Amino acid sequence: MALTLMLLLPLLGAIALIAIPGETRVERAIAFAATVATAGLAVVVVWGRHEVDVPWIRALGVRWHFGVDGISAALVLMTALLTVAVVAHAQSGPIPKGGSGSTFLGCILLVETGALATFLARDAILFFVAFEVVLVPMWVLVRRFGDDHVRDETRADAAGRFVLFTVLGSTLMLVGILLLVHHQGTSDLTVLAQRHGAGLSRSLQVAIAGVLLLGLGIKVPLWPLHTWLPSAHTIAPTAGSVLLAAVLLKMGTYGIVRLAVATVPRGVAELSPVLALLGVVGVLWGGLACLVERDLKRLIAYSSVAHMGFVALAIASGSDTGLQAALFGNIAHGVVAALLFFVVGDLKEQWGSADLRVARAALRDKAPRFGLALVVGLAAALGLPGLVSFWGEFLALYAAWSPAPGRPVALMRVCVVLGAVGLALAAAYALRVARIVWAGEGSDLAEGRAAEPVGDAHGARWAVVMALVVAVVGLGVLPHLLLGLSDSAASGLLAGLGVTP
Amino acid sequence: MKGLSIDYATLLPALSPVAGLVLVLLADLFAPRGRRLPWGIAGLASAASAAATLPGLGLGGGSTRETFCIIPTALPAGGGRLPSVEGLPRVCLWSADALGSTLQLAAAVSALVCIALGWPRVRRRRPEAGTREPVEAVLLLAALAGTVVVAASRDVGTWLVALELATLPVIALVALSGRRSSAVGATQLLVTSLVSFALLVLGVALWFAATGSPFLTPDAALSSAGALSATGAPTNVVLPSVSSGLVALATVLVLAGVGFKLSLVPFHAWTPTAYAGSSVSVATLLATVSKVAALAALLVVLRAVAALGMPGLLAIAVLASLSMTLGNIMALRQDDVVRLLAWSTVAQAGWVVLPLVSVSALGVGASATYVLTYVVATLVAFAVVAVTLRDHPTGGRTLAAYEGLWQRSPWRAGALVLALTSLAGLPPGIIGLVGKVTALRPVLAEGWVWLAVIAAVNAVIGVAVYLRWLRAVITEREVSATGDDADAEGTTGGTAGRTVRAARRPVVVAGLALSAAVLVVVSVQPDLLLRLLG
Repeated sequence: MALTLMLLLPLLGAIALIAIPGETRVERAIAFAATVATAGLAVVVVWGRHEVDVPWIRALGVRWHFGVDGISAALVLMTALLTVAVVAHAQSGPIPKGGSGSTFLGCILLVETGALATFLARDAILFFVAFEVVLVPMWVLVRRFGDDHVRDETRADAAGRFVLFTVLGSTLMLVGILLLVHHQGTSDLTVLAQRHGAGLSRSLQVAIAGVLLLGLGIKVPLWPLHTWLPSAHTIAPTAGSVLLAAVLLKMGTYGIVRLAVATVPRGVAELSPVLALLGVVGVLWGGLACLVERDLKRLIAYSSVAHMGFVALAIASGSDTGLQAALFGNIAHGVVAALLFFVVGDLKEQWGSADLRVARAALRDKAPRFGLALVVGLAAALGLPGLVSFWGEFLALYAAWSPAPGRPVALMRVCVVLGAVGLALAAAYALRVARIVWAGEGSDLAEGRAAEPVGDAHGARWAVVMALVVAVVGLGVLPHLLLGLSDSAASGLLAGLGVTP
Repeated sequence: MKGLSIDYATLLPALSPVAGLVLVLLADLFAPRGRRLPWGIAGLASAASAAATLPGLGLGGGSTRETFCIIPTALPAGGGRLPSVEGLPRVCLWSADALGSTLQLAAAVSALVCIALGWPRVRRRRPEAGTREPVEAVLLLAALAGTVVVAASRDVGTWLVALELATLPVIALVALSGRRSSAVGATQLLVTSLVSFALLVLGVALWFAATGSPFLTPDAALSSAGALSATGAPTNVVLPSVSSGLVALATVLVLAGVGFKLSLVPFHAWTPTAYAGSSVSVATLLATVSKVAALAALLVVLRAVAALGMPGLLAIAVLASLSMTLGNIMALRQDDVVRLLAWSTVAQAGWVVLPLVSVSALGVGASATYVLTYVVATLVAFAVVAVTLRDHPTGGRTLAAYEGLWQRSPWRAGALVLALTSLAGLPPGIIGLVGKVTALRPVLAEGWVWLAVIAAVNAVIGVAVYLRWLRAVITEREVSATGDDADAEGTTGGTAGRTVRAARRPVVVAGLALSAAVLVVVSVQPDLLLRLLG
């Protein structure tokens, strides 16, 4: 009951918002109330491990089957809580140009509905349907509410690229799902995980895993399928960037764990060298791009590619620790990317652009709150021990050094070494940003508007940023809060015991 | 003929349009100036036909509503006695099961919406011009009758005649619909149908040669595959291998013939011209009722052939992938919404035949499901176009006319968004998504992974096509750009003028509301639509 309500609330809120024309106070209240109530219900649902299971499309054997387990619990909580932050942040400033505020907030709520449904779905075809729900609202967010400093064609290109890449990925995923469902005779993810690929020949497992990884790899995004990400992030409004980085990318890695690792383990094992290599190439590619990128938002986007590379490496290791690292890395990147995009989005809103070449007043003295948040975010991005990202990346490298039996140890260790180089690159680019934006290298050359200090964060925006800073530090100091949540579920999933809710 | 029993209640779906047709002719005799009366009769007849299919919808488990049943012994089959006689039960020339009834229902409801969209205006354009409406109503009802009959026909004669009955009136409708380019479209359509008819006749003749039976039933198909020799029947049938090859050839020829009507590539050339040349209601008819007729005809043959357990047909795979690809790519380049929809129907036709690569009950059911989702979504899209055209008769066909629709009339925009996302297979158009899942299932069940990947790529291009239109709908129109506004809104412009015009098109709006309501209901609960097919 609580679970159905949790999915329906944001959906109904979104419909109400989109149906309301114009700008009133009512729609802000609706949006905020819906997200807060959803977050409350999410806590209840995760705490009580709720489940709902009723027939939906009988002709296809698809059931309306949602439930929480250790794999999805943290993602559900993060999605629900982050959406509250996003809505609070969006309401405390001007709504991006391009449309009415109600449409903007409605799209955010629709994205939340789709993401929650994806993380909760326990039926493969239902998972696919939920996966697709986020597409159109996200497209609207980028297309209509995107950066209005660029030309219309640029926005169209970014939004179109996002939606077309993702649709290609999800349709390929559908092909994989249908193959799997046809050969296993059921689309129930719990049953599929319990079968653990039994009854499927090796070549079939490889084929299914290949199609699924290809499809989901676009969403993650794995190198070289990441080309949609930087432009979408750069153009999207702050709310869109945060949701995209923190929630939508996670749907890809979560899907790999839930759909591929749990159901066709042999196929994933065969393909894990490729996955590991692509992950590490992504780490290096993202790091190198960040060293030279001039647009701050685009830079953060490339750093996302690098961080998700670590998650892919962790999944490829195939061990219990690796899976835990992947799940932890998901949350870590979600929190850190959200923090960075909030800060950078606010800065871009005031600066008018996010070009690092323009000399600007330093944040350190003139806007200490922004400065603090940015430094914490960058420190987390470079994997400083004691902050949340450290555990995800450290555990990923640790797991890949001694992968599950059957994986090529030598190759995995090469990947670990390359991944460590990637960490060094992360330190380099994080410090580069800190030097320019925070410490204000070359800020004495600033002239005109750029020389004026930005207005510091205050009110709701400051609260949102602070909450994320607390989360970055808190989860970094107490990682077992998260690791304990997914511990038994992760080992159960790898052993093919199915995941007990 | 002995043993022939006729159950008129079962025939009602076909009898209603025929009765309506006669009534329209009578009405024209007594009130030749009437413009709305014939359309009213036609609408009632379509509604009656739709209602008459309802008893057939609940049929499950292979039960059918049959009539015109005969005992095959009574038939002189090509001179010699059929060896299969003893084993065969009676054969029915009309047999409507859940799938057939559902297709009939879809055709009748589509015809009803087409009638609403083409609802005549009160004033005549020129006083001396004759009234065209009775003729159009008769043609429309004839096409509907043909469609209804072909879905239930089980013998080659009825099948062929009904299929042509569903096609030929549409050609006349295109020719009559007034625009100058419509003559070109009608000519293309006519030539195409002649070729298609030739192919169909050839296919049917081969069928008869292979099976020795005029019936399009699984039993007849089995008689070609040597099932008879097993029962020790006399061997005056041709060699089993040869005749099952003939059945395959017949199927391919029928596929090609029906391909013209379904506008599958490479038989699609008439589509954009005919759609763009005709009025919106006729284009809607082409896109919905004609497609249902063609698919129903194809399914009658394929369900008979399915009994043979034939391996998948490469021809279908090739046609489907060509149609999807070319249709989508051409649709990407259109700025005229009717042409865009025309190319989109080419692409969607590819999706419709895609599941038929698996010649089985699964494939047939999936194809019927997809055509239903396509018909529902296309009806709504055309209805929105029709309403928009009544508002801006000059520029209503361009994509630009839809800019800012979200602000101007949110309901219409909402219906269009749902229709376009259904066609693209994206939420909130859940039904389109379910249609794609259903269509891909048989393809993968038969192991055609490469075909599924082509379909996946085409799903992406399709999304690009429909998002182009969607972008215009959600684009906020600058309030300052009133110059463009007035231009696109027609010369009179202004809120007052618009409300007057809105009041003038209640029937068109009713057609839109009817189709949109169906789309919303099946989007929320797709099971309603999927279970119709039994």
